[in-house]
Amino acid sequence: MNGLMLVARREIMTQIRTRAFVIGLLISAVLVAALSYAPKVFDTPDVYTLGTVNSQQLPLQAAAPEAKFEWRSLPDEAAAKQAVLAGDVDAVLVNGTKVLTDGEIEPELGVLMQTVNREVRLGAIGTSIPPLQIESVNPDARYESARTGIAVVLVLVLFMMLLGQAVMVAMGVVEEKGSRIVEILLSTLRPWQLLGGKILGLGVLGLINLVTILAVGLGAATASGIASDFPPGIPGVVAGVLVWFVLGYAFFATLSAALASLVSRQEEVNTVMTPLTMLIMVTYFVAFYATNDATGTLATVMSYVPPFSSMVMPVRMAATEVPLWQVGASMAAMVVAVLAVLAFGAKVYERAVLRTGARLKLVEVLRAK
Amino acid sequence: MLEISELHKRFAGGPDAPGGKVALDGISFVVRPGEMFGFVGANGAGKTTTMRIIMGVLQADSGSVSWQGRELGRDTRRHFGYMPEERGLYQKMRVAEQIEYFGRLHGLGAAAAKKATEDLMERLGVAERRNDAVQALSLGNQQRVQLAVALVHDPEVLVLDEPFSGLDPIAVDALATALQERCRGGVPVIFSSHQLELVERLCDSVGIVSAGRMVATGTVADLRAAEGNTLRVVVRDPAPGWAEGLPGTVSVNGDRHILRTTDGDDQEILRRAVKAGHVEHFGVEQPTLTEIFKEAVA
Repeated sequence: MNGLMLVARREIMTQIRTRAFVIGLLISAVLVAALSYAPKVFDTPDVYTLGTVNSQQLPLQAAAPEAKFEWRSLPDEAAAKQAVLAGDVDAVLVNGTKVLTDGEIEPELGVLMQTVNREVRLGAIGTSIPPLQIESVNPDARYESARTGIAVVLVLVLFMMLLGQAVMVAMGVVEEKGSRIVEILLSTLRPWQLLGGKILGLGVLGLINLVTILAVGLGAATASGIASDFPPGIPGVVAGVLVWFVLGYAFFATLSAALASLVSRQEEVNTVMTPLTMLIMVTYFVAFYATNDATGTLATVMSYVPPFSSMVMPVRMAATEVPLWQVGASMAAMVVAVLAVLAFGAKVYERAVLRTGARLKLVEVLRAK
Repeated sequence: MLEISELHKRFAGGPDAPGGKVALDGISFVVRPGEMFGFVGANGAGKTTTMRIIMGVLQADSGSVSWQGRELGRDTRRHFGYMPEERGLYQKMRVAEQIEYFGRLHGLGAAAAKKATEDLMERLGVAERRNDAVQALSLGNQQRVQLAVALVHDPEVLVLDEPFSGLDPIAVDALATALQERCRGGVPVIFSSHQLELVERLCDSVGIVSAGRMVATGTVADLRAAEGNTLRVVVRDPAPGWAEGLPGTVSVNGDRHILRTTDGDDQEILRRAVKAGHVEHFGVEQPTLTEIFKEAVA
């Protein structure tokens, strides 16, 4: 087996057995599953308890089919006041003319009661008003909230995976450099084999994570029934996310390895990684902003600019329909960026990884022959 | 034969040394098959730099390293075994897997790596720790694993930077035995150490480096011969001025006078001593490696 594959295999085999990896995977699976059930849990219908004193019940149910109404009959106004103050009822209709509440009435309930009352009175004198017909002219609108929701979840997952794996790469590089294992390794391997194997191995682990999360997410969404609100083309979006993860990961992980090779101690990893962490965060913020305004100029432009495109384009793909050529152009730009970063990162890594000791400056490493 | 010739290396200057620092200034030596070569020198003398250049993890500015007449390349070095200074192992990886992994990196097939790992763990006495993470092992056992990593692919040459540092005497013996076995099998072994008695005991030949130069090299016997033996005479209560005109130095310890010299007519010295007082000791002493070392780097 070739050196690069041996290195990759070691990364996978050692990581996959650690408790951290297994627990991390379980936690993210549970989180994603919970997220898929969340709309069901929080979208419980409104329940109103209403009272009547010497009044007819209003036909509220017909006007608001999603809400639930419970009616109670109360003997007199004094009893009604007591029930309202005790919180037993939300509102009491007295003599068909006034409504008792504890403070201000809930706006939706207020509007509903006023409207239905008016309708009932008008109906009593023989006037009926046909309700306004509402028609959406945006054919996509039905899925809009589902699409935005999917985009928000996907970009969060992408962000966490990219950041997490980039940090893993950095820590692995410093582990080898700091303990001088790298000297034994590089007396038999070429630097690019070691670097490539590490990036490949940890990338495969990232993909395992990501595929698990997406599978659990889709499974849970189907089980909870919210998948019925999903727009068509979700498989394409998911496949797109995988490709974008691979591209984004190759970009960030290579930079991460290059930066990490400048230091020799784990304590210094955070500091040396700061610019890269910031870059990943900014990419996330731009992408998160794009979930709100997926057709806006910022989202459109940034979906072509590497490395922002690695998170912004999947957002656009989830939130709206993106023509295939645009996706292709954006991916091509990202691939070019990845190749450039690989060339740069490999050079820095090769020059820096054997220079143990104090933190090296990037400029210094690039200038040295 | 491993031949190191005329290695020069200068490190780029920093703020403290604007002109750069000369690490190696023409290091040359040879190590023959089956020879154990002890590399001694003060800290910063250039031992580690030389070893890193032999292993190809550092490039010399000039000079060459060749094995069996051929300039070293990556393919040749794959058959070398190496233990770096401040050793490196994957702390969280299991012992057996780690040794096996390095065996495979050095070109062994899966089955061969497994077999070599089993043999080595058995011989180095870490077999029962095979499934423990390296970080759970004592320093001595970690060192054994480190040695196993250097030996797993049955190397043609062994390069070990301070393999004995921090070990207790029993671990030192275990390690020394393992190295001697390899040596008898025809493998040249180079190791650096500050434990000069150990080097003296184990090594066929010794190289003393100082400030990037090889100041003395050869077998311990050769170095002793070059240094010259010391005549030591102890005279009790001698007449004053008894040693006047004799070579060497006299030190006084109570009523005992001790004369040390590397030249002069020993018979004449003996006669003078007997005449002066009671001779307690008269003998030729071989210099220890420590004395040779101190002399060489002075």
